[in-house]
Amino acid sequence: MKQFTFEAKQKNFLIATMGLGLLCLILSYFMEPEQIAESGQHARFWSNFLLNAVFFTGIAFMITFIIAAFTLAYSGWYIAFKRIWEAFSSFMLPGLVMMVIIGIAVYAHVTHLYHWSDAEAVASDKVLSGKSSFLNKNWYLFGTIIIVGVWIFFSRKFRQISLEEDKHGAEAADFGYHRKLRKYAAVFLPIAAFTGPAIIWQWVMSVDAHWYSTLFAWYSMTSWFVAGCALTIMLIIYLKSKGYLGQVTKEHLHDLGKYMFAFTIFWAYCWFSQYMLIWYTNNGEETIYYFTRKSEYPVLFFGNLVINFVLPFLILMRNTTKRRYGTLFFTAALVFFGHWFDFFYMIKPGVFSNAQEAMSHGGEPGHEAAAHTAEHAASFVSGFTIPGLLEIGVFLGFTAFFIFWVFKQMSKAPLMPENDPYLEESLHHEVQAYE
Amino acid sequence: MKGQHKEVLFGLYNDEEVLMSAIRKANKQHLDIMDVYSPFPIHGLDPLLGLEESRLHVVGFIFGMLGTLTALIGISWIFGGSLMFEGDWPTIFGGKPYWSLPAFIPIIFELTVLFCAIGMTVVFYIICGLGFGVNNPILDDRITDDKFCLAFQTSDLETSAVDNLKGFFKSTGAEEVHTRTI
Repeated sequence: MKQFTFEAKQKNFLIATMGLGLLCLILSYFMEPEQIAESGQHARFWSNFLLNAVFFTGIAFMITFIIAAFTLAYSGWYIAFKRIWEAFSSFMLPGLVMMVIIGIAVYAHVTHLYHWSDAEAVASDKVLSGKSSFLNKNWYLFGTIIIVGVWIFFSRKFRQISLEEDKHGAEAADFGYHRKLRKYAAVFLPIAAFTGPAIIWQWVMSVDAHWYSTLFAWYSMTSWFVAGCALTIMLIIYLKSKGYLGQVTKEHLHDLGKYMFAFTIFWAYCWFSQYMLIWYTNNGEETIYYFTRKSEYPVLFFGNLVINFVLPFLILMRNTTKRRYGTLFFTAALVFFGHWFDFFYMIKPGVFSNAQEAMSHGGEPGHEAAAHTAEHAASFVSGFTIPGLLEIGVFLGFTAFFIFWVFKQMSKAPLMPENDPYLEESLHHEVQAYE
Repeated sequence: MKGQHKEVLFGLYNDEEVLMSAIRKANKQHLDIMDVYSPFPIHGLDPLLGLEESRLHVVGFIFGMLGTLTALIGISWIFGGSLMFEGDWPTIFGGKPYWSLPAFIPIIFELTVLFCAIGMTVVFYIICGLGFGVNNPILDDRITDDKFCLAFQTSDLETSAVDNLKGFFKSTGAEEVHTRTI
């Protein structure tokens, strides 16, 4: 079947899951953990929203980046399923809307997600006032709009050229459409390389406003990419079971599995490089980041490594596991959740301590806040030290939203691209002769 | 196999597609192919010849694990403090404990890669019969350049069977047919 039809059954299921997610998101507004309830910041709600908005927008961005990189690298194997990646990449539009909501909330200081958004705190803080030319509410909101806006422009261009190629590619001399695509990709790649890290510093790293790491952007962008690969694998296997995408074979999935495996290792490499340098240097303002995470958030700290490195590394090491749909699907699901969990680990501890700081700002005596911290160290806080049921619900809801959007985009164009110069190569893609 | 000479009948083809169809035909006639030589890897040749997946990567895994253990035990033996070692030469680096895993991971990683690479290379040489002092006869110099070769062992065959093979070569489009004793 060339044309994807978004069935009513799928629609209903996804909308129901989205409803569940929305319900959980609203509930998390009211179910603030008692340790920070007095701050009145609704930190659980805002951090859940930020976490999922960043995670899914990032996947869309990273897939756009990969389309550009593959196009420039003369890569042909992915053409058979490029419509799926184009649909992924279009999710940046709702992503921008979500990030603008957060940006406005930060601008109006409705939320204390970021410590640097508190003007009083910045004025009395040398580090934060030094960083204020980058970490300020204007740049957060307008920088997000500008940068994601540019990304969306390129993402739409890629899609548009690809669709035009379907219709008129046969008449175009000298692969005109493909050349055009290459030009846009070449422009997009350096832009993405500089703006991607800049936006991660703003969105994610600055929840720990005093801390910074140069490797952070690599690390989190890899996280997005692995999650994107995992979701692609799951969707392809699902669509194949529905009878679509006959052109995508085991060989493509094997290569996607390899990408997932390779970038899992790269992710661990980045994670460890960041950790080891900070651990070895033992510089107080840097180690505090890992110290709190290791001592107060052990589930996040160690769970992250097990789900995202140890398990996929051992499972995907053998060839055969990447060629069996069942194992591959299971690993992809695990890794997809794992990288959401990774962002959870990046965002939540910072937001939690920000909320505590806001509490002490709100007139509460300092020693009481300190007592709260001590109490917190000894206990699990659902929604912060471990993902609670509400967080899982919100995650499922956003996933449904992402898939809904992707299916909607996929139903607008045939799943089988035409006239792409690399299409034949992709259809005959073969990586291994043995079973 | 030293000292034992084999008689080999081989045909040279100009094109890999012709060679592939010849192999398909040979499989159909249940001819016992000795080997196929080609200047470059041919896609889909291995399943045609019924070759199984190489187990070299298992060797790689075992050597890798060996490297991991060597590094871990070696470092622990030198610095001590864990894994039941007293420490042969305990040294403090950067105020860390004698035995601190994060500092060891780069070395463990490097030794894993080193052992894996060297072990796989050596095993590959052994199973392919390559190495110092080994002289592997080449049937024809041009199979390293532009010819594709299909070879049958004819030591134990009767003349009629050899003639049959020659006929097979002719019918499948071989450019040249030769015999050699190796």
